[in-house]
Amino acid sequence: MRGLVEEFAANAAAIGFHVHRGEGPEIDGAGVSTALYGLADTGSVVLASSVDEPRARSLLPDVHVSLLRQNRILPGLEELFEALGSELPSALAIVTGPSRSADIEQKLAVGVHGPREVHVVLLPPA
Amino acid sequence: MPTVQLFATCLGDLAFPDAVADAETLLRRAGFDVEFPGRQVCCGQPAFNAGHRSAARRVARTFARAFSRSAPIVAPSGSCATMASHYLPELLGVEPFDVWELSAFLVANGYRPLPRNAGRRVAYHDSCHMLRELKIADQPRRLLGGSGAELVPLERPDLCCGFGGTFSVRQPEVSLAMADDKLGGAEAAGTLVTADPGCLMHLAGRASRVGSRVRVVHLATALARGVGA
Amino acid sequence: MPELAQPPARFREIARGKLLDAHVQGALDLSTGRLRSHRLEAWSALPDVEALRERAHAIRMEVIDDLEGHVARFTEALEARGGHVYFARTAAEASAYVAEVCRRRGAKLAAKSKSMASEEIGLNEALAAVGVQPVETDLGEYILQLAGEHPVHIVAPAIEKTAADVAELFSRVRGEQVPAELEALTLAARAQLRETFLQADVGITGVNFGVSATGSICICTNEGNGRLVSSVPPVHVAVMGMERLVPTTADLAVLLRLLARSGTGQKLTVYTTLITGPRLPGEHDGPEELHVVILDNGRTNLLRGRYREMLACIRCGACLNVCPVYRRTGGAAYGPVYSGPMGAVLLPLLVGLDRAPSLPHASSLCGACTEACPVKIPLHELLLDLRRDLVEERVAPWFERAVFALWSLAWSSVAGYRLTTRLARLGQPLAGLVGPGRAWASGRRLPRLRPRYRDRR
Repeated sequence: MRGLVEEFAANAAAIGFHVHRGEGPEIDGAGVSTALYGLADTGSVVLASSVDEPRARSLLPDVHVSLLRQNRILPGLEELFEALGSELPSALAIVTGPSRSADIEQKLAVGVHGPREVHVVLLPPA
Repeated sequence: MPTVQLFATCLGDLAFPDAVADAETLLRRAGFDVEFPGRQVCCGQPAFNAGHRSAARRVARTFARAFSRSAPIVAPSGSCATMASHYLPELLGVEPFDVWELSAFLVANGYRPLPRNAGRRVAYHDSCHMLRELKIADQPRRLLGGSGAELVPLERPDLCCGFGGTFSVRQPEVSLAMADDKLGGAEAAGTLVTADPGCLMHLAGRASRVGSRVRVVHLATALARGVGA
Repeated sequence: MPELAQPPARFREIARGKLLDAHVQGALDLSTGRLRSHRLEAWSALPDVEALRERAHAIRMEVIDDLEGHVARFTEALEARGGHVYFARTAAEASAYVAEVCRRRGAKLAAKSKSMASEEIGLNEALAAVGVQPVETDLGEYILQLAGEHPVHIVAPAIEKTAADVAELFSRVRGEQVPAELEALTLAARAQLRETFLQADVGITGVNFGVSATGSICICTNEGNGRLVSSVPPVHVAVMGMERLVPTTADLAVLLRLLARSGTGQKLTVYTTLITGPRLPGEHDGPEELHVVILDNGRTNLLRGRYREMLACIRCGACLNVCPVYRRTGGAAYGPVYSGPMGAVLLPLLVGLDRAPSLPHASSLCGACTEACPVKIPLHELLLDLRRDLVEERVAPWFERAVFALWSLAWSSVAGYRLTTRLARLGQPLAGLVGPGRAWASGRRLPRLRPRYRDRR
């Protein structure tokens, strides 16, 4: 598991997540979600919509924080879909970094429509 | 001595006879007897690539009539070698021929070029058929390096020169822009070497029209007599 | 429906104009070059990209070989999750269905996330005609919508616009000067479009992949607009080309491994969203209604023929980014929706060869596209086949066929070859005056016909 956690942390940081261990940042107005899974090979957080997790929470605020238990980190997409099986939520969002666009002169712009700052807090297994 | 059959190609025969003569020279230096089957005309590629299969078939039959299968066939042209080896057999419903592009044949037979290009800087242009269909990219470079030339890589060696057969006259403006890109990329070297008469005709023709300082030379000439010839 | 047909002279005409525009030339070179490099880096970082491409090709062909079955399974699965599925045979049917959904909901404002299929059917025009205002929320598409123009690249639609162009457009909308500087432009777009997301009555998206086993649709964006459009408005309409299916989520994982890497070099787009039905009971947001419009619009015609592999296309843009012709002409020369190699193959197949006869020839057949395609569509071979069809279906002009026929008769023997080339040598001075000789000589010196090699031996 340690290998997956470190791989996740490295890849998440590489694509623009602020990665925290144990304790999350206190940011006013931030949306805070519990991630269903993390994907190690891309550094993605997987958010499932549900009664407790509205979609807007990870979309509308400028800053979003995902709480991710270390034992919920999977190697990649193949393992994610295997784990989900046929139990699919109405909306499953695989988020890999802050919102971005390169549509203006192919230069990177961050925070176009979704959150411009994204955090993931790695928590010990439940 | 082993024998090869030389396929001059129509463009070679008509517009670049010196390059074909240079190819023959190289093959002799490599230790081969060179036959020139006199009934050869053309592989039919111009019509084939334009979608005119019946016309292509008619002309391609001259290839099948001219060449035997008793000795390898060598062509100083990547595109004609591709046509004759990859497409012609199916077009005519005949068994494949043992067709080689010149540089691939020379390297496969251990030919070591004479140091005709010592101290010269050259850029090499991969023609699309040679690069992508025959997958011959290394051999021409090895031969040029072996002849003493300093190879100056092009920034975008993957880009087509813009000839493309009838494309050059259906979309002449785009075709010329592509040629200009290629010639511009070769300015640092001053000489551009190509193994295909089609690319040669297009690039040399453009270079001449715009007064480019880039000399465009066939690979066979570069190896046989040197790029300064 | 936008005019997808391309009259014969149009490609060259538009290409000419683009070649003279230094800014467009610079933008195309920079953008396609960058996207190409990123793809190459991403592909080389994969353990076995060739095996992955083969698998992806096989998955897509599996679907194409039983497309009707997959469409039926998808429909059943999504309807079981409370989604509505409408199969549209034509562009008109598709647009009419969406318009009817809007009418029934009293919708006035539609927020749109990028969808090539919706462009193909002219959905925006159809909605405007029934009083629904469609607003593009994908930054590049939004910019083009303000400019009244069509997308010119399937992944980077506004590839030819400068920051200055964008600033001017945004300034006009806001009624105040927006500086031509990226941060300001981004903030301006975010503010303007945030209102749209929150007020829209209907959200309209495309679909990158549908999963037939689960009835799910997968939408990939970088900006977040795809998620916003499919989460906030009470109704979500997704337009999906019927061929955009994969059998299972395991197959989806394979295609997702390749899609972003091939289009932009990213491992995944920032938002990869899998939607399976409208909101579930108890959920606080998400659409009450989900409609998936499955679009045929000529795709069925390709199913059983030589061109069926073209249906495997996943609209990644990799072929555009390597095409030496696209690099110089840009997308507008091909048409308002699809361009580059995939456009040159797909458009004649969708609208008929006689209505896009120059597109298969808008290529030097270099083969770079085939090399770049993540699902291994033999694009340059399909272009050659289309050229063959142009001749065999007599779409190619009679004089062209006559010239090749005569040439081939002459060159079917050495004697004929000698005679014609002798005449050509004699007529050399005139060669630059007519037809292909003239087109050649307009920019290049004509090759001099020398004494033939065969006569020197």
